[in-house]
Amino acid sequence: MKFFKLENNDELQAYLFSFAIHLTLFLVMIFSVGWQTKIPFYAEVELWDSVPVEKKIKKTQVNPKKKIKQQKKITKAQVAAKTKAKVQKEADIRLKKKKAAEKEAKKLKKQKAIKDLKKKVLKQEKIDKLKKEMLEKDKVERLQQQVIEKQKIEKMQAELRENELKQQNKLALEGDKEVKGGSNTGELNKYKLLIQQKIQQNVNQQLCGLDYITLEFRISLMPTGELLGQPKMTKSSKIKSCDDAVERAIIQSQPLPLPKDSGLFSKLKNLELKFHPNGVK
Amino acid sequence: MKKFVYLIFAGLLFFSSSILHALEVIEILGGKASQIPIAVMPFKNFGAQNNIAKINSVIKSDLGRSGLFYALDTRGVTTTPNSDKEINFSLWKTLEAQFLIIGRVDFIQEEKMKVSWSLIDIYKQQTILSGEYVGKKNQIRAIGHKVSDKVYERLTGSKGVFHTKIAFVEKYNHQKYKLNIADYDGYNVISLLDSKMPIISPRWSPDGEKIAYVSFEKEKPVIYIQEIATGKRKLLANFKGNNSAPAWSPDGKRLAIVLTYSTNSQIYLINADGSDVTRLIRSRSITTEPTWSPDGDEIYYTSNQGGGPQIYKFNLESSEISRVTFEGKYNLYPSLSYDGKLLLYLTQDQGKFKVALQNLQSNQVLKLTKGPLDEAPVFSPNGHMVLFVYKDYGKTTKIGTVSINGLKIESLPLGSRQVQEPAWGPIKE
Repeated sequence: MKFFKLENNDELQAYLFSFAIHLTLFLVMIFSVGWQTKIPFYAEVELWDSVPVEKKIKKTQVNPKKKIKQQKKITKAQVAAKTKAKVQKEADIRLKKKKAAEKEAKKLKKQKAIKDLKKKVLKQEKIDKLKKEMLEKDKVERLQQQVIEKQKIEKMQAELRENELKQQNKLALEGDKEVKGGSNTGELNKYKLLIQQKIQQNVNQQLCGLDYITLEFRISLMPTGELLGQPKMTKSSKIKSCDDAVERAIIQSQPLPLPKDSGLFSKLKNLELKFHPNGVK
Repeated sequence: MKKFVYLIFAGLLFFSSSILHALEVIEILGGKASQIPIAVMPFKNFGAQNNIAKINSVIKSDLGRSGLFYALDTRGVTTTPNSDKEINFSLWKTLEAQFLIIGRVDFIQEEKMKVSWSLIDIYKQQTILSGEYVGKKNQIRAIGHKVSDKVYERLTGSKGVFHTKIAFVEKYNHQKYKLNIADYDGYNVISLLDSKMPIISPRWSPDGEKIAYVSFEKEKPVIYIQEIATGKRKLLANFKGNNSAPAWSPDGKRLAIVLTYSTNSQIYLINADGSDVTRLIRSRSITTEPTWSPDGDEIYYTSNQGGGPQIYKFNLESSEISRVTFEGKYNLYPSLSYDGKLLLYLTQDQGKFKVALQNLQSNQVLKLTKGPLDEAPVFSPNGHMVLFVYKDYGKTTKIGTVSINGLKIESLPLGSRQVQEPAWGPIKE
């Protein structure tokens, strides 16, 4: 009975080679080399049901043989008692140690809690500090901004004042020159400008709409600058609130600046005031 | 000869009188935007009711909010005068008061009261206005607003708006919306509509009886008109695409609306009954946020036809379009004052959104607020105040008022409500 038939000599060689390889691997598996360099640890454990305890011996009076026996028994009992005491002592020590350990653990836990709390407080303090710093920074920035704004306004006001002063000085100089030269037009203009400025800052233009309007008042003044009687409106703006606002501005401006020179005062004691609250076209 | 002497005499008389009348003239140009100092004394109480102190505080708050008045602190003044005869004018002049309001409350029945008041001019030393109101005990705030209105009108020449209503949208529970109305100062809030979908752009009809608004309840923006008294509402516009930004014409017969019907956002006109829809402007650019001029001849709107959003106006008669805003690259949300002389809008300035006011005569622009995230400014019916939305430090949206002189900005006491899209109702007589 033939199971297979070899086709040629090469196939036989291949089969033999395969068989040899398998055999070699099998032998390697059986007689393999131990590559481990360390001996593995092992542990021996003795299992006990319970700790063996000596039985209590009955104490009775007997003969010497028995006594010897009894003495032997007593010795044994003493040993047992000693062992028991030792065990008890050891148990006590263990208990004490356990208690001490527990105490220590509690102490450590407490210390840790305190440490954590301190850390937390420090963290909070840090946050608060940062917040405070930020707020402070904000405040400082705001203040700086305010200071800058204030400085700007002050600068503008100073410039305005300087210009006004220059103009007034100019007018005064012109006035002086004219007075020296026998004319007092400059001095007159100076006081007209002062009166104009004082009244203008009391005119509430918000009550006069947006249109270009004109209104006129006549006033008489006392040498003290107070009004002699009420202002007389000669031309209305046709806006009641505006007419009233301008009248209030005139009254509010008392006392008006007037020259001490009686000649000049006589020229300013009766005035015609022309108002253009929203400017002129 | 006699005749000749008379002629010379008449000539001399004329000459001398002309000299006498040669008054010095002083021209005063401009003025200041200052606040009028006014003192409001506690009203005298005749009837042992303890809530009348509200009248005094309501009047002070109203006049102060306008930005035109400064309510003086009168706590140091112990004697309350009954009339101008009892007033120590020099004291009030020292306190720099220009006007004084005094009054009394008489309880004529258990629930009824009579409020009598007077406005006194400190400079003229006389009563210039006085009045009486009779009402119920719970109308004390309303009476206070009425007194403020009268005082305001007497001293400024413009009608007061302290007795008007506002509308606004409230967002609550994150995804729910309410359309509310309240007194102009944020008190007495009433809900008109509750919706799970957003509500935007509420606009009062000129008679103050209805409100048009945009609702998303049809899962796209559509426009409704709702009657305030009955709560009845009708769908005004539900055309293809988005329906938004309703604006009533001054006569209340038509509305300008924005549709994306055929292309991008374009302005259309529609009758208040929903009929006769016509396209107003034909433009390839976006045209939106229409608002009518008080005479009804022009429509101001926002468009990006020049690149960034700017405000333009369209003349309904000539179909002429002209640009209105030139300052800044980003101007939108126009609103006109009752007299058409001032234009209010939102402008982007140094990265911040601020409320800007433009004088349409001089084209001068004043920024009323400092931003940074202001939105939806609208005029009060007298054009003296502006209602707008701003974000506070907690990033919740609040409604505030600002006076057009920029001197007074105040928020409305609406608590922690998330509010948006305010609209100011008209003055009702």
